[in-house]
Order: sequence, then structure tokens, then C-alpha cells
Amino acid sequence: MKKYIIPILLLCLSTTLIWSQKVDRSKAPKAGPAPKIQIGSYQLFTLENGLKVIVVENHKLPTVSYSLQLEIDPIKEGEKAGSVSAAGELMTAGTTTRSKDEISNAVDFIGAQLSSGSEGIYASSLTKHSETILELMSDVLLHPSYPEAEIEKSRKKILSGLVSEKTDPNSISSKIGNLVKYGKNHPYGEMMTEETVNNYKRDDLVNYYNTYFKPNVSYLIIVGDITVDKAKAQAQKYFGSWAQGAVPKMKFRAPKAPAGNEVVFVPVPGAVQSVIDITYAIDLVPATNEALHASVLNNILGGSGFQTRLMQNLREDKAYTYGAYSEITPDDYIGYFSAGASVRNEVTDSSVTELLYEMRKLTTEKVDDATLQIVKNIMTGQFARSLERPQTVARFAKNIEKYALPKNFYETYLERLNAVTADDILKIAQRLLLPQNAYITIVGNKETLEKVISFDADKKPMVYNPDGTVFVDMKPIPEGVTATTVLNNYIKACGGEEKLGKIKTMTQKGMIDAGMAQLDMQVDMASGKSLKMTLSMNGAPFMTQLFYDNKLTISQMGQKMEGDEQDILQAKIQCDPLAELHFDQFGLKASLKGIEKINGADAYNMEVIYPNGDITTDYYDVSNGLKIKSISVKKDGEKSVTSETNYVEYMDVEGMKFAKKIKQSGGGQDATIITNSIEINPKFKKNHFE
Amino acid sequence: MKKVLSLFGIGWLLGSTVVAQNIQFTEYDLKNGLHVILHEDHSTPIVAVTVLYHVGSKNEVPGRTGMAHFFEHLLFEGSDNIGRGEYAKYVENAGGGLNANTSQDRTFYYDLLPSNQLELGLWLESERMMHAKVEKEGIETQREVVKEEKRQRYDNQPYGNLFPETLKHAYKNHPYAWAPIGSLEDLNAAKDQDFVDFYHTYYVPNNAVLSIAGDFKPEEAKKLIEQYFGEIQKGKDIKRPTIIEPTNTGEVKDVIKVKDQLPLMVQAYHIPAQGTKEFYAIDMLNTLLSNGESSRLNKTVVNEKELALFCGAFTFNLEDPGLTLSYSVANMGVDIKELEAAVNAEFDRLKNEPISDNEFQKLRNQIESDFITRNSSMAGIAESLANYHTYFGDTNLINTEINRYMAVTKEEMMAAAKKYYIPENRVTLYFEHDPSLLKQ
Repeated sequence: MKKYIIPILLLCLSTTLIWSQKVDRSKAPKAGPAPKIQIGSYQLFTLENGLKVIVVENHKLPTVSYSLQLEIDPIKEGEKAGSVSAAGELMTAGTTTRSKDEISNAVDFIGAQLSSGSEGIYASSLTKHSETILELMSDVLLHPSYPEAEIEKSRKKILSGLVSEKTDPNSISSKIGNLVKYGKNHPYGEMMTEETVNNYKRDDLVNYYNTYFKPNVSYLIIVGDITVDKAKAQAQKYFGSWAQGAVPKMKFRAPKAPAGNEVVFVPVPGAVQSVIDITYAIDLVPATNEALHASVLNNILGGSGFQTRLMQNLREDKAYTYGAYSEITPDDYIGYFSAGASVRNEVTDSSVTELLYEMRKLTTEKVDDATLQIVKNIMTGQFARSLERPQTVARFAKNIEKYALPKNFYETYLERLNAVTADDILKIAQRLLLPQNAYITIVGNKETLEKVISFDADKKPMVYNPDGTVFVDMKPIPEGVTATTVLNNYIKACGGEEKLGKIKTMTQKGMIDAGMAQLDMQVDMASGKSLKMTLSMNGAPFMTQLFYDNKLTISQMGQKMEGDEQDILQAKIQCDPLAELHFDQFGLKASLKGIEKINGADAYNMEVIYPNGDITTDYYDVSNGLKIKSISVKKDGEKSVTSETNYVEYMDVEGMKFAKKIKQSGGGQDATIITNSIEINPKFKKNHFE
Repeated sequence: MKKVLSLFGIGWLLGSTVVAQNIQFTEYDLKNGLHVILHEDHSTPIVAVTVLYHVGSKNEVPGRTGMAHFFEHLLFEGSDNIGRGEYAKYVENAGGGLNANTSQDRTFYYDLLPSNQLELGLWLESERMMHAKVEKEGIETQREVVKEEKRQRYDNQPYGNLFPETLKHAYKNHPYAWAPIGSLEDLNAAKDQDFVDFYHTYYVPNNAVLSIAGDFKPEEAKKLIEQYFGEIQKGKDIKRPTIIEPTNTGEVKDVIKVKDQLPLMVQAYHIPAQGTKEFYAIDMLNTLLSNGESSRLNKTVVNEKELALFCGAFTFNLEDPGLTLSYSVANMGVDIKELEAAVNAEFDRLKNEPISDNEFQKLRNQIESDFITRNSSMAGIAESLANYHTYFGDTNLINTEINRYMAVTKEEMMAAAKKYYIPENRVTLYFEHDPSLLKQ
């Protein structure tokens, strides 16, 4: 009997025991005493060549990593955008003693990692293979050979990559955001295109490497299962012979936020969401008190987690998006603000409204204490968790060195964080949150454009293609319409082949109004032969342009100049009243691109390519067939010059139509050309054109 | 003499074994069936409190796809004692981070907390398991959020339908035929009662693993765990799908029209379930094909022949038999057929040409390195422990699974290639650009 009693008793006891300890589920349990947050230690030393080495020991795993980091100014690449990243990546594509295959075989054989970029090299391996990976890393660093074949292979992949990015809304959003907020004249705003990728040569890559990969501007960060002594010996052995060199410093004009909100739209066909990014450049220096305030501000607005205002508003309250976030990023040169979300098409405008609302609110209302405390808690936790990775300590060490911070800068981080007040936040918000001076970039379905125009200060949004060129909205060409039919129609609209064909000579009189100067103009023409244009000011001849006997001469103030082949071709075309029917003869290639709205009217967009490669886009009014506009792009050495001609008004002469008013602009000059009279088939003196 | 010999023997053995991994843990079951795993590590004052529920999209039925993942969203809404939307508040205010994710086979919740907040994590997770609130307002909001998640992560991504289309073509019977995100129509069609039933069926202690890693004392934790989780009712036994997907049924080929400009080819081969001997051989074949710049697909298809911008084959390991997913993005102007032939040639080589000793050694070194570097964070360790217990019933595989890889021979790899990497056992899909999809 007894036997059975004991277990039952025990059972009773144990249930009571548990029962007596039943927890109060109705509220959150209290936290235990706060753990001490300790930042691991590091060592810093400098090699004779100036290479600064930071070592963080951590023996948890038998691995070690070596990160070489260049600290150089951003590079403006211009026409060769892409060359800098190629120069970095291709360091592992061959050395003077190893082929690309040999390098990758050796790295993979020990299960290691080795990668290079324009601002450094990263290597990691199991501790037991550290000498092998360092030998490879130092070879790649000191003796890259840039084999032509590998450059071409990489170029091909980059070009393919560009093609695939063209339909990716997120990559478009980030590229266009950079373009508008930094501008294409700042290194951060440069955009790699097919053209720029095709422009760089091996020399450009070698030059970059030779100029910028120097120990005196670099850090070597060693983290992992290694002792400081061993790290010192390795740094000396593998990087000690790396030669110093002067590295150029660069200065760039800092981009500014726009004067008023600017909507920047990129249509992506078939997009089911709008990728919204409200962004602009800001001046914010890393590792400053301001940067700390900005970081707290950002964590209130949309930093990370589920409680931020953007997340609560756009996701948890309105369900517009899977996630809404903001960033306030300090930078040594120029930082940026960004806030955005991917939202379904229908709520694009509502989402922009809410994003701007949350920004504005922080600039007008002081943040409440509870919210501020929560954010401090979040940031304290993030800080503590980040210390799990030994790389964090290395990053701290580098910042202390780079920005000459007090040695205990990160030990006092939490104190400084706790000292941040609501006033600090309001002040930094008013400086950095600019809900009225932002680029509002939206990558999405074109139908949503109309709904977001109202956010633009001047109601004129910038519309771009994914490659950063200006977007032109074109409708498809109706069946049966070709370049030939449009050109034939134009001739018909001007009076027809028969009438125009009967023009043997012509005199056109009028004036050119170039703002500062007003000139009288007379153009005499003999079909198929000669052309003479005389400009005079107050009755005195100013310039004469004469085409005669296949030669073009320009005389101005006693000086004479000969026109080139392209000028001669232009003159020949002008001498032919039926030139539009004779494109083949002139070697012009015309192709119809689509229908575009020009000054409210539908117009055919026709691209005309000249024998020398110059391109002109002509616009013909769909309703009456007349030419209304022409844009030509001329190559002038490296540069290209664009000029625009608008045919504002036509006049009737003997049943034919001629341009009466033409507006021209290009190269910073505007001019209006007015024709007052046209005489058909006048008689010229025999030597009129000689 | 004998002594010396045996010493030599030991030396040889040491030389050939890999760096030993030793992650210590204790594990036990509560009365209600909840499996508990504890890993103690005091190096950083943080603790990862995680719960793995053994339910994923394979537990769904056609017409209600996306349910498991949708649930993951719902279970942040609140409980009897936690107000709507307050889960995140508790964790974040305590200086923690939290999130969750859903796969074909399981749903995983994690709270990363300062170590003095272990009890908070236990309270939150036990509330979630005991009496989560599944209510209309939360359902409606999260339905919209999940739709945006699908648009953002699939529909508005390059080749966003790659994964769902591949699964659809590879599985005709098994519920792996759909991705965890499911379909928007199904989500719209789901009734509130469906959600309640799902909760009571799968969110029960006997279907869960509580895995905790970090800075805590296991004896104290055990007491708290009993207090918070002990009173939760055990659920019914879980019925798991028993459908076996037929293999070797002939090559499935299809062309999918996409907006993306560059053609992409996917091949999916049926492979054995994870944990089987053949599975390890397959996984090593895929490492040989794709791991590192010198791997076979990278070396030949990408670098030598310049046919692809990217080319790789990966093990998509699942509890039931999964897939090898091989995919290649063609370079501009490359004929996808040529690309396909080049990729097939590499798969054929696996069947016909013995691996050299050198390459085999490289492969083993890569696997060793990957295995060792895998478990570097508390969150990662907690998840791995839970996975090993759930799928393999052997938590200690976190330390020893490497031995299973090291036991695979070159001959076994070739045999696996011959058995599984055959055309009858695969799906081949072309993702081709269709300009008509680019109409505004």
C-alpha cells in the first residue's frame, strides 16, 4: 500500500509547487538587473609604410578575416563611369604570376573568401589557412595584372547587368535617386550607362590602381582567432613591402536640396507597386553629436522595427505597404535623407501624403517623452546586440582613429544617447527634415503619374527613363504610316510636289531677333544650285553665307571661312524645295519613332541620321502634316550640342506654305526668325551668287 | 612496437578529421510535449528566445494556400494579455528585436533580448502559444499587408515568379507545389474560422520547439519555462502530409513570359529528402558545381564560355524530398538553347567523369569551412538547434553533421548524379522576355 502513496503525495506536492508559483500573465514580467555592456578591446599599430592595422582578437570560431580598406575621396568618373568599380573588382582577375583561374582555385581549395573592390580587399579563412589566404591577398593587392581578356569578359557581364536592371524598380529607384539628389556632376550622382562602360580602357583601370591603392591611406582590419603578435608579424610580412605614394585629394561642390518639392517619376511598364523614395542630400558629419541626434530622430521616424511612425502609419494602420522606412545617413562628403515604401498603385498619392505628414510633424511637434525613451531603449539594445560581432569593435576602432575621437567614445555612447532631449530632436528635425524641399521619386506604373503631380512645387514633374535620360511619352504609330508617308504628306501640306517643283528661284526677306541684336535677313535661292543669305544691321552688311559651285563660304567683318561637308549638305538640302522626297540622294536615313504630344498637338517623331552621324529629330503635326519642331544633336569633339527649332507659324504664298515664324535655341542662344515676304521665281543677275 | 603503431594511427586520424565543433546544449520535453533546447553562452549579454512551430505551407490545402505565412503575421497581433500591436512594443522597448519567417516546413519566431529580459521573451512566446488573438481587425489589416509583401517580394522583383513557377511545375501532387506566400485569391477567400482552426491545430506545444541560446542560467530558465509554458494544453496529434511526389516522370518543359530583358533558364531536379545518405552526395555535387569562383558552372559557363551573367545550382533542402535548383541568367545576345546545352554538359560530366583527388579535397575543405563558420550568432545557433531536432530528431547534428558529408565518397557522388541528374527527373523552364508585358 505504502508504495503507492508516495508517488501520489509527490504528485500533489509538485502540482501545488507549480500552482503556488503560477505566474501573473496579465502583465509583462519585470526585467532583471541590467547586464553590463562591455566593448571588446583592440590593438592599433602603424607599419612603416603608413598602413594602419587594427586587430580584434576573438577566439570563438577558428576563423580569421582581413579587411583592407582605402580611405580616399570619391572619384568623378565622367564619361568612364564604371571604370573605378571595374578597377577594384578586376584585381582578383590575375596577377603578374597568377591567372584568374589559379587565384580562384587556390582560394576555393582552402574554402576561403577573397574579393576586391575599388576601396579595398576582403579575405577570410579558417585560422589554419591564414598564411595561404594572406599570400593570395597580398599578391592581388601588390601585383594585379589587369589582363585585357578579363576586362572584356567583365565588361560584357556589366553590360548584361545594366540591361537586366532596366526593368527592376528598386534598382531604378536607387539610381535615379542618386542622380537627382547629387546631380551628375558629383561622384555620388554619376550613373553607369552602356556608353560609359564601353568607354573605359585597361589604362584607366591601371591608373586608378596605381594612383589610389596606397598603404598611407589604408587600414588593415584583422578580426578573429589570432593573437596580436601573430597579426603584427603577418601584417609586416604580407603588407610591409607595399610602397607609399601621394594620393590626390578631391573637392566637389556640395549638392543642395531643391528649392521646392520636385516630383521625379520613372514609368515602369507593368509595375504593380510604386517604389516611393523621398530624398535629398544633407550635410551631416559622422561621429558627431548631431549625427547621434539624427540617428535618434530617424529611429522615431522610420529607422527599424515595427514601432516607428512610418511603420505604424503606413503598415499597421493603413496597410498600404509591407514596410515603410527612413534613413538619415551622415557621410564624410555629403550625406542623405531618404524615406519611402513600396506601395500598391492605388495608394501612391496617399502614401506620399503620409510620408510627408510624418516628416512635417517631427519638425513642428516636440516628441513626447515616452516615445523618446522607447527609441533610446531600442538603440541601447541595438548597440548591445551589435557587440556580438567582433567586427563591430573593429569598426569602432577605425572610427576613433579616422575621426580622432576620444578613446572612450563608444564607452560613453550610451550616456550620450541617454542625454538626448526632445528639444535636441526638434532642432535636428527642423534642420534635416525638409518636407517642402525634397525630391519625391516614384518608380511605378505611368497611370499613377497624374495623381502625384500635385506634390510638385511647380506642377512640372521630371519624368525619366530608367537610364536617367528624359522620358518621352509616345503613342504607337498607326498601321500604314511610315517615314516616307509622313514626308510625302509634308510636301503635300506645303502645296504639293507639282507646285513646289516649279520653284526655280526664290527670295525670302525678314528679320532675326536675337534679343540683344536685330538683324535684317535676305535669302536668295536657285533650286539645286546656289544659296545666298545676307544679314545686315541698320543697313550695313553683317554676314554673308554663300553656297555656290559646291562650296560654302561664310564672310563676316572681312573674315572668310569655308564650311565643312556637313554645312555643304545642309545648304544643298535648303536649295531643294522637294528635299523631303530626296532623302536617299542626300544620304539621310529617316525612321518613325512614334506619336508624341508637342505643344498640345499629336506629332510624329521622326529620327533623321545624317551621313556624319549627327541626329535630328523632326516632329510633324499629325493633323495637318506640317513640320512643327526639330531637335538636332551635333557632336563637337567630346561634347554634344543640342539645338531646337520650333516652326511657330506658316504663311501662304501662291498656294504654298512657308514658315513665317521660327524660334531657335541652342548653345545658350535664343533667336526668333520672322519672314515678311517671299517672292517665287524672281530673276537674279547672272553673277548674283558668284 | 605496438604502442608506436597505434600512436601513428591516432595521428593519422587527427590529421584527417576536421576542426571539431562543440556547441553544448541540454534538451528535454515538457509534459505537454513542448521540446526545449538550451544553449548557454555568456560572451555577450544577450539571449535569443525562439519558437519553431512545425507547420509550413506544406500543411496547407489547395484553395487555402498562404495560410501558414499569413498566420505568422497574425500572431504578432496580440493575445488575451497582450494588446493589439503590442508584441513589438514589449520587445523593442526592452531593447530587443523580433521577427519571424515561414518556410514550406516550419514557422519560426524569434526575440533577441538583453539577457535580463529572458522572462519577457518567455511570457510573450507562451502567450502566443496559449491564447493568441485571431480577430477580424487584425486579419483585415494583415491581409492587405501580406498582399503588399507579395507584390513587393515577388511581383515587383526581377524574375519574381521564378520560384513559384518552378515549384508549380516540379510538384504536381505534393503541397510543395506552391510557395509559402500562397495566392492572393486564397487569402481573400479564407474565412475567419479557417484561421481559428489553423491556430488550434498547429500552434500547440506538442508541435513546437522552444530553443534558447545566450547569456542565461539554464536552471533558472527551466523553472521559468515550466511556469510559462507548462500550463499550456497539449493539442491533438498533428496529421502531416503523406503525399509522395512521383519522380522520373519525364522532362517537364515550359516557357514563361516575363518583363525582364535577359533570358533566364531554371532546371529543377527532384532529390532525396534531407538527412538521407544520397542527399549529402547531392549537396556536395551542387557545391562542386557552384561554390566559389572556381566551381564548375562558374568556371565554364560564366567565365570560359561567357554564356551567362550568373549560373549556379543549389540544394533546396526540404523535409520531404526537395529539389536541386539550377538557374542561369543569359548574357546579352546569348541563345538560351546554347546556355542550356552548356549547363547540361556540366551535369553530364558529373555522371561520366571521375572527380580528381584535388577537386574532391577542395570540395571537402569548402564544406568544412562553411560548416564551421555557419554558427556565429546566438540567433543562428538557436535556430539550427531547433531545425536539427525537428527534421532529424538529432539535435547534436549541429556538431556532427559534418561527418555525414565527410563520409561521402566520390563514387557515391557519381552514383547520385547518375540516379538523379537525368532529364526524366527534371523541369526545364525558360523565362523569356515578352515586350507586350511592357505596355503601360
